[in-house]
Amino acid sequence: MPREAEPSLNEKQFVLQALKDNLRQDGRDLDAYRPLDLTFGDEYGHADVKLGKTRVLAKASAEVTVPYTDRPLDGIFTIAAELSPMTSPSFEVGRPTEIEVLLSRLLEKTVRRSGALDTESLCLVAGQKCWSVRVDVHVLSHDGNLIDAACFAVVAALRHFRKPDTSMEAGVLTVYTPAEREPVPLGWLHSPFCVTFSFFGDEGEISVLDATWLEEQVRVGSCTISLNRHGEICQIAKLGGTPVEAVALIQCTQLALTAVRSFTEYLDQKLTEDAKRRDKGGLLAELSAENDR
Amino acid sequence: MAAAASPIVLPGDAIDPSLIPTSNKKRPLRLGPGLRHVPPDTLQSTVAGELITDPKKNTMYIEYNSRRYIASPNDLVIGQIHHSSADLYYVTLNPHAPQALLPHLSFESATKKTRPQLDRGQAVYARVAMANKHMDPELECVSQQTGKSEGLGPLSGGTVFAVSLGLARRLMLPRPREDGGVAVLDLLAEEEGLVFETAVGRNGRVWVGSESVRTVVVVGRALAEVDERGAGFGEEAQRKLVRKLVRETKA
Repeated sequence: MPREAEPSLNEKQFVLQALKDNLRQDGRDLDAYRPLDLTFGDEYGHADVKLGKTRVLAKASAEVTVPYTDRPLDGIFTIAAELSPMTSPSFEVGRPTEIEVLLSRLLEKTVRRSGALDTESLCLVAGQKCWSVRVDVHVLSHDGNLIDAACFAVVAALRHFRKPDTSMEAGVLTVYTPAEREPVPLGWLHSPFCVTFSFFGDEGEISVLDATWLEEQVRVGSCTISLNRHGEICQIAKLGGTPVEAVALIQCTQLALTAVRSFTEYLDQKLTEDAKRRDKGGLLAELSAENDR
Repeated sequence: MAAAASPIVLPGDAIDPSLIPTSNKKRPLRLGPGLRHVPPDTLQSTVAGELITDPKKNTMYIEYNSRRYIASPNDLVIGQIHHSSADLYYVTLNPHAPQALLPHLSFESATKKTRPQLDRGQAVYARVAMANKHMDPELECVSQQTGKSEGLGPLSGGTVFAVSLGLARRLMLPRPREDGGVAVLDLLAEEEGLVFETAVGRNGRVWVGSESVRTVVVVGRALAEVDERGAGFGEEAQRKLVRKLVRETKA
């Protein structure tokens, strides 16, 4: 398996030296994100997120299946995150690296376990039929901070997604095509986002938001905080690395909250723009009986 | 860059015979990178790029931009020590490619007893001494003729930036500002008074060293921006960029 290329000694020392002077290679502030860009595809539930040079694509899809026997009233919701060799030659198919395991685990904890998606609303017939919603995360380019970008992509894809409308009449379940009935959005409860801090220095005294890949290779520890815009923390993951002062961590959560609020605002704005783009002619066009010629 | 008239070719294109320089009958036609001779009389391009012909030297080659470096003799490169064996350093020229070999004795005044001690990951400026197909390239940090280092050797301090091979080539021209269209380094030094040294490796690495960390950051950002904008990024625009970067990056 090819190993990840390590930065040179000069680069490592320089990154640290610059951070001690409050400077970053791309001129950002220590607590600033790279420019975030979100585009929705033509289909529902297709979100393409660019964070600097990191690019993640998430696609949500739904199909009707049988619910798990121990949870007859719940639908199924899965997130599949996979890193392919397209991302970096050091990733191989079928051999999950540590980054990949952590990524899918954190997405799972942030979006699924925090109850962002109302799985009970996915149930169609108790114990027999339910929706299975699946989000596929594809990392197209890796320049650091995969977790934040992937989490944003997943949430954006799910909030953009529309599942086909259904009806139950006399025990017969009907799934309508988009032509028959307008698809319906998922039952969404809150939007959690991940914010990752990287720590530098001997004691981990310098904390940095949205590290690039070079910075990630030099950092001594990291901490991922997931929360929504109300400041409700879903999870905090500080997996190994140098111990960090508790006070510093509390400051991090404060910073994370402002970051999450700006994420929420940006996503809401993009969703409205997309809805406007799709809604050509408004209600009048919908009510018109005229055909396209 | 070259005149706008130079044609663009795609891989596999046959080069039109009318494009081949004929004025200089004394020298044989020399083909540079990106061109291949298919006997008896076809010239094919192997990459996509601009076809450049030089009637004076009777040469033609294709100017193209890529990120993957293939070693060729006498190129100056910036490598990174990967590990050391009994009498060799293994040097990474670009990631995920076979390593180049740098003998311990290929340094200025190096003997069996006084050879340089380089750490893993240390950046070195070296010349490609030998590069054959199917063999690891060999590097040297000393001139075979004079026995002097001539500026080659380990690079201490500073940092290494990755740029595209096209930009590295443009920076290595004798007059990068006039011929290569890269004025940012001159502008940073002359107009903004920043003090720094650079070393450019043909493998798409630029080492920048300075007393001040801020200077190195500014130079790195300027290079990245020039690389992204490509050849059409004029001198006036570069001057504006330099001013903006110097203003933005706080001391």
